[in-house]
Amino acid sequence: MSRFSYHKPKTIDDALQLKNEKRGAVYIAGGTDVIVQIKNQELRPSALISLRNIPGLAHIEVNGGARIGALATISDIIQHPTLAQAFPLLMEAARRIGSVQIRNVATIGGNLCNCSPCADMALPLLVLEAKVRLRTSETTREVPVEDFFKGPGESCLLSDEIMTDILLDAPDVNTIAVFMKKGRVKMDLAVASVAVLLDMEGDLCRKAHIAAGSVAPVPRRLREVEEKLEGTILSEQTISEAQKIAKSSVVPITDIRSTEDYRREIVGVFVKRSLERALEWSHK
Amino acid sequence: MRRTISFFLNGSEVNVTLKDHMRLIDCLRETLNLTGTKEGCGEGECGACTVLVDGQAVNSCLYPAPEAEGKNVLTIEGLQGSENRLSFIQKAFVELGAIQCGFCTPGMILATKALLDSNPDPSDQDIRAALQGNLCRCTGYVQIVEAVKQAAENMRGPE
Ligand SMILES: Cc1cc2nc3c(=O)[nH]c(=O)nc-3n(C[C@H](O)[C@H](O)[C@H](O)COP(=O)(O)OP(=O)(O)OC[C@H]3O[C@@H](n4cnc5c(N)ncnc54)[C@H](O)[C@@H]3O)c2cc1C
Ligand code: FES
Ligand code: FES
Repeated sequence: MSRFSYHKPKTIDDALQLKNEKRGAVYIAGGTDVIVQIKNQELRPSALISLRNIPGLAHIEVNGGARIGALATISDIIQHPTLAQAFPLLMEAARRIGSVQIRNVATIGGNLCNCSPCADMALPLLVLEAKVRLRTSETTREVPVEDFFKGPGESCLLSDEIMTDILLDAPDVNTIAVFMKKGRVKMDLAVASVAVLLDMEGDLCRKAHIAAGSVAPVPRRLREVEEKLEGTILSEQTISEAQKIAKSSVVPITDIRSTEDYRREIVGVFVKRSLERALEWSHK
Repeated sequence: MRRTISFFLNGSEVNVTLKDHMRLIDCLRETLNLTGTKEGCGEGECGACTVLVDGQAVNSCLYPAPEAEGKNVLTIEGLQGSENRLSFIQKAFVELGAIQCGFCTPGMILATKALLDSNPDPSDQDIRAALQGNLCRCTGYVQIVEAVKQAAENMRGPE
């Protein structure tokens, strides 16, 4: 392990100040990405500034919409008494992350700020059109999750900026939500994953929000597929067209987890299965 | 940098001086000489290093030691039944052949404790989900799942 000093500020302002004072300092939340990156020497911080001891940053509040503190752990999200009811997609994605041991410390903010193309929490937040609240010592701003990701490992965060909250509007009542993920083994990072949120009236798709992970430099919405679906009657034919568009609109890579071709195939299949499932549910 | 922290380890308060960059597993094994906690992968994949912090299973290889301050840490050394006997979970693992080389065992047992503390009557599926982060290269898992069920029964009935 490389050497670094470790700081446990008790307020956001102290954390921001430390970050500005210490060259080469990095924020740490649950550490499930940071510690692994340090071990693999991808990251050599001079100091770690822990956000874990700042009161209130892990708070979850549900009142129609929701405000989720960036330091809420994946387990906090799963165990929250009312969050899952309002946002079942969040729950679906959270349950598929890592193992119990990982979920008990990994945070939702860390998942987003790490900016991996396969960040699982990004997908429900993308289709729910969530915003993130970002703070520096001078400014607070709200950014749509979709604009937060800039590239693998890159976000729009300024160097000292801290993510404090994830903000969700009250969900539409009639939506149907599906989350699908394929890893090599169950607790693994995704080979590919898809989240779908549909507003259906019988077989008519009024609104479609679809996001995919691990198939582009950042988790992102599949706008071409959405446009194809909105205002159409879901049928075997339209679903198969959506599958084709999904396959051709993504730009996956080949890496140790999987190949470009396989990821393309899986995304197509996930889109198809999600739509089929949504259609089934809308008949119930 | 060095710092002195205090926390509760297996029920008793300890004060340790450690280096800032230490992980909880380093503090346990190297500073406190508690070598029951094992390091396999060192990156959150295998669960051999599982301990409980405030009752929750965590990978001690990913847990910064300075964060243990004020917390309640339980390691395999702290898991004993009455009169220095094995705890009911350990007994079930021994009796059902859920231990071969034993390297995964401390982590398996602590992950099992966290499960049973919150769910005293787990299904096979619950057990497999709770132990997803614990790899075993020897047993093939069947005996482990059986042992957890036995432990749950022992826990519910008279010991
Ligand atoms: C074994 C294993 C399995 C995993 N499985 C999955 C999986 O299935 N799906 C998945 O998506 N991920 C998975 N991960 C990755 C990781 O656990 C998640 O990305 C996790 O949510 C990261 O959160 P954290 O709190 O641990 O982040 P940290 O490691 O603490 O931080 C990650 C990054 O975000 C920055 N950061 C954190 N919080 C803030 C904040 N509030 N403001 C500004 N910057 C911040 C840090 O500086 C760092 O760059 C896995 C990891 C491991 C080790
Ligand atoms: S050593 Fe910690 S998970 Fe493998
Ligand atoms: S008993 Fe050998 S690894 Fe599990």
